[in-house]
Amino acid sequence: MNELLALFINYALVKNFILIMFLGLCPFFGVSKRLGDALSMGIAVTFVMLSSSVITWLITHFLLIPFKIQYMEIVVFILVIASFVQLIEMIIRKRSVSLYRALGIYLPLITTNCAVLGIAEISFRGGFSLLESVASSLGAGVGFILALAIMSGMRERLEISDVPESFEGLPIAFITASLLSLSFIVFRGIGL
Amino acid sequence: MKESWKRVIVLTSIVAISVVVLSSIYNITEPEIAKQKEIKFEEMLQSIFPSATDYSEKEGIYEVYSDNKRVGYAFMADGKGYGGDIEILVGVNEDKTIKGIKVLKHTETPGLGAKITERWFTDQFGGKSIGDIRLKEEGGKIDAITGATISSSAAVDTVYGEYMEKIKMMEEK
Amino acid sequence: MIKDFTNGIVKVNPIFVLALGLCPTLAISTSIDNAIGMGAAVIFVLLFSNLMISLIRNVISKEVRIPCFIVIIATFVTIVSLSLQAYLPSLYESLGIYVPLIVVNCIILGRAEAFASKNPVSRSVLDALGIGLGFTLSLIIISIIRELLGTGGISVFGYGFTLPFSPATFFIMPAGAFLVMGVLLGLLKRVGVIR
Repeated sequence: MNELLALFINYALVKNFILIMFLGLCPFFGVSKRLGDALSMGIAVTFVMLSSSVITWLITHFLLIPFKIQYMEIVVFILVIASFVQLIEMIIRKRSVSLYRALGIYLPLITTNCAVLGIAEISFRGGFSLLESVASSLGAGVGFILALAIMSGMRERLEISDVPESFEGLPIAFITASLLSLSFIVFRGIGL
Repeated sequence: MKESWKRVIVLTSIVAISVVVLSSIYNITEPEIAKQKEIKFEEMLQSIFPSATDYSEKEGIYEVYSDNKRVGYAFMADGKGYGGDIEILVGVNEDKTIKGIKVLKHTETPGLGAKITERWFTDQFGGKSIGDIRLKEEGGKIDAITGATISSSAAVDTVYGEYMEKIKMMEEK
Repeated sequence: MIKDFTNGIVKVNPIFVLALGLCPTLAISTSIDNAIGMGAAVIFVLLFSNLMISLIRNVISKEVRIPCFIVIIATFVTIVSLSLQAYLPSLYESLGIYVPLIVVNCIILGRAEAFASKNPVSRSVLDALGIGLGFTLSLIIISIIRELLGTGGISVFGYGFTLPFSPATFFIMPAGAFLVMGVLLGLLKRVGVIR
């Protein structure tokens, strides 16, 4: 139990996907201008990360390893993630119009989100058990939402502040992210 | 109907071609990858037993020779760290004290848990008898890494657990 | 035709102008060796996937094009990954999970979709080389700055020099990557290279 908690905290804070490992930067800079959007995106990504890490774990242990085709891992993982995202999009569109409006536009972006394939790779390479995969992908998801939420708050403030013209937009967003990343370094001190 | 069949055929053939190409590339590179692992292993073994000239493997226990004279044993120890798997190569002297250890694989936090690979930490294991392979706060003689207790005790437990198992195997023979 | 090549380096530079492929850019720009290795890997994948996709662009129907592209790209990434493991294991280890993540590098899927699937082979190859080179050069620029300031010296494949000042480790930390990227983008905007 302790180990699972450690993994969760590790991927939420110490190895924060966005601020320390640089995974999932596109939505971080793209949609993080409004808190609501940032939260929706974060929840969508977390959901996909969690479910696809379970699916890729099952595939690894019941397909790749028994048939000794671990080298097909990249092809299989990305195909599974792409079709899974497609499937969710179809289900959401049929079942709930309001949910589709809130999350639908982010779903196609998630396939090419490094965070989703990233967590699958980490658990594949680390030889995680199913529970460890779940704990680390939940942690990564929570860390993702956290970083997105903090960033959107800061960017809302940046919109109305006085920034040199050439640094408006992306450059100042990167510099803000730098400060944020620096502050996340302190989590390395968590003595786990 | 015809269109959709064409789609299925195109995608299936691309996947099929991909499988064929990758399995042949895998067959070409696989011996090379195995060789690289062996080279790395020999380097590690050499760093624990500088005088080693040869070794043989049986049921996971490596007998290390220097000019045809046996100088000790080595085995791999696998354990769980705080970031993922830890793999340690353990060298044992003829008198069953620890000769030295080398961390081959780990995913601990850089700058913290990753210090288990540093010499001041691994050198502590050399020359100690297995009873002392415990962290100081648990009555042993190994200093933990400040701020990375889980990683330190994971390394210690990995070495200790595997040692016990392998020694038992050797004594049964 | 030559424009297809030069465009990728400056006008549609994938990192500075399009702001694509940021994850590997920031993550592995801690050393010049890594930057060159990652750049070469991306050029290889980009070149061959553009080539293949352009060759079969008339066979692939619109509905299944994305899965087809993904499989093709993933195949070449696996080839890179296996070859690195076999012949350059130390580079493979220092690039870590960012090797398989080349699959989701938006630059590659983006070029497949925007260029290779609509243009003949020769132009697609030139486009891949240009974009790949633009990516690699930008990566090298960032890594030179970070390595010089962060480790107090430069070393390329074992050759290099060290400067007589104490390095600011900050620059090889993740926060340093964000800062260097932000300042570079701002300066490039200031001198009018990018809008």
